Amino acid sequence: MKAKKITLIILGIVSLIFPLVIRSDYYQHLVIIALMWVVIGSSWNLLAGYTGQVSFGHAIFFGTGAYTAGIFVTKLGMSAWWGMMFGGIVAMVFALFVGWICFRLRGPYFALATLAGGEIIRLIVTNWESLTEGMMGILIIQSFRSKLPYYYIALTLAFLCVFVIYLVMKSKWGYYFVSIREDQDAAESMGINTTLYKNVSLLISAFFTGMAGAFYMNYMAFIDPQVVYSLHYISIMAILVGIVGGVATTLGPAVGAFIMVGVQETFRSAFFGLAPKWISQAHALVFGLLVIFVIMFLANGVLGDWGKIKRYVFRIKASN
Amino acid sequence: MKKTTMIVGFFLIVVLCFIPGHFFAAVPETVKVGIVLPLTGDQAKFGEIEKLSFEMAMEEINAAGGIKGKKLELIIEDDTGRPEVGRSVVEKLITKDKVVMVGGGYSSSVTYAVAGVCQQNRMPFLVNTGSADNITTSGWDYIFRLNPPVSEYAGAIESLLKAVIKPKTVAILHENSLFGTKGAQEFEETCKGLGYKVLLKEGYEHGGVDFKPVLIKVKYLKPDVIYMVSYIMDASLLMKQSKELKLTPKMFVGGGAGFTLPEFQQNAGVSSEKVISATLWHEVLPYPGAKDYYNKFAARHKKPTEYHGAEAYAAAYVVADVLKRAKSFNNTDIKQALSMTNMMTAFGPVKFTSYGKHKNQNRLPTYVVQWINGKSELVWPAKLATKKLVYPVDWLKVWRY
Repeated sequence: MKAKKITLIILGIVSLIFPLVIRSDYYQHLVIIALMWVVIGSSWNLLAGYTGQVSFGHAIFFGTGAYTAGIFVTKLGMSAWWGMMFGGIVAMVFALFVGWICFRLRGPYFALATLAGGEIIRLIVTNWESLTEGMMGILIIQSFRSKLPYYYIALTLAFLCVFVIYLVMKSKWGYYFVSIREDQDAAESMGINTTLYKNVSLLISAFFTGMAGAFYMNYMAFIDPQVVYSLHYISIMAILVGIVGGVATTLGPAVGAFIMVGVQETFRSAFFGLAPKWISQAHALVFGLLVIFVIMFLANGVLGDWGKIKRYVFRIKASN
Repeated sequence: MKKTTMIVGFFLIVVLCFIPGHFFAAVPETVKVGIVLPLTGDQAKFGEIEKLSFEMAMEEINAAGGIKGKKLELIIEDDTGRPEVGRSVVEKLITKDKVVMVGGGYSSSVTYAVAGVCQQNRMPFLVNTGSADNITTSGWDYIFRLNPPVSEYAGAIESLLKAVIKPKTVAILHENSLFGTKGAQEFEETCKGLGYKVLLKEGYEHGGVDFKPVLIKVKYLKPDVIYMVSYIMDASLLMKQSKELKLTPKMFVGGGAGFTLPEFQQNAGVSSEKVISATLWHEVLPYPGAKDYYNKFAARHKKPTEYHGAEAYAAAYVVADVLKRAKSFNNTDIKQALSMTNMMTAFGPVKFTSYGKHKNQNRLPTYVVQWINGKSELVWPAKLATKKLVYPVDWLKVWRY
């Protein structure tokens, strides 16, 4: 327990001084993106990992957060940072609708409903040009030239998200969530209002994903519906981050986020220019192989199956 | 147990961050220019033809002595066709590779996002393909565009419609992308101006494979002309499925992009016959080097090239010319040199002017090509044509029904 605390403190210090040591904008950018994925992955994990409601539609909340921030600029002429305040809340409003409709369904049917929901919203945003500018997208001018403010905002957001989820899972709510995942009917018969607590889990998840979306608008300064409501690059990526890192573990999605962003960029840039160029054309393939590998050998993710990795990779006996 | 994980993991990341930066310290003998192109993903075919052309031009420029004694180095990066990736790519080019200017830019969405970053960083950006109007109408002074904006793509098509086809009704299909949507809107305006009735204007989803529902709707409406703004796979599929449905308007018209690539003819086969498309260039145009470029490309890569390749090839020469004239390689001098550009390229004359809402926009005429016996032939304007426009077309006979 003590060792764990020390590790966390070291991790905290390292993350605080990281951008002061590594001055390259490029690496700072990668870590900022990874931190954003920590938020999305952890939020997805709360709903899917802990509460057992596998969502294929987290792009709904991400995109809504991003568009809230964008519309603050284009329609109200205010700063996109207002989106950081309201993005999460607007995403929660959408979550209420999603929950109202989709929580009548269970298991794979719920997953399919969220998948459809994400696509429906993307089409609406694409075609509602008077509000969203359609495929032209929303382009704003970033508030800061330096990456430092963005880094610390992303870090704070990631920390808040992981910490809140940690606290929630320690509380009574957390036990309700897990009991719903394990057996919804049993939970219901124990007197847990399962519909209410599934919605609570969804609302928390949507709030943080919406915040991440608003952050994305502020940081990347350009969104269009295919970017922020993307099934592949947001909804599925959220699932991959969770699965690779470790479903239903506090820090699993955080680890998963760094792995996924790292793998993606390593292959896109062909090992930072070291490998021949054709490697970069295989980046989609590598993603697929990684997922197959994780599902076959590390079904609980990198953090969930850490014991297994240690046994095989570091050849340490399975004493613990 | 988790302690070791964390520490090992984190230090791995930190070490990874350090190594490459020091490994790839700049080689001082080259002038670096970043090129952003889609090399993977749906638009990879366009990226490929542009990349090959950029590389060909770079070799020629360096063989002829390079720039002020230094070699020109084009760092070609993959944007995968996604705006957010394009953004990170151009940030990497600016901060890590320390390029002196940026070129490329294929899809409008990516180009628009990249242009935003360049303007903010005061990095001169010579766009060669991304054509949505807002790229040069946003008032950005570091962004220069070689190709005409999408609103002017249909210029030659318009005069051809007026002179030859004289349609009464038009149907417009477009991909739901910045390029597709804007191209379709502009053409709709054009049709209204000419008094043609637009029976239908419908967008379809990027990556779609089944266009029959919308094509059946079009068949029912019987328009005289079907105008399509599409990238590559969708262009081929639209034509193939029109053939299967025996959809026979007076003319199929492509709004550039997918309809001029050699791959369009390869994929669509006989369904591509007699289709006309807007284009910005053709190898027979009387520009110095145009035919040369076409022949060299064909000899080297064993396939024909078209306007996207020519844009890239010419862009490389403009870059070289600008860097030679620039007083120094800092951004304001390069921007100054760009705005003074006045040269002839294989793609046509290049001179950046401001007109209407456009800033730093090159003005060029457009043309119409028709696929005749598997070859893209220039058919309009008539005085430059290599073959006479085949019209009217008996589609069922062309499709060998």
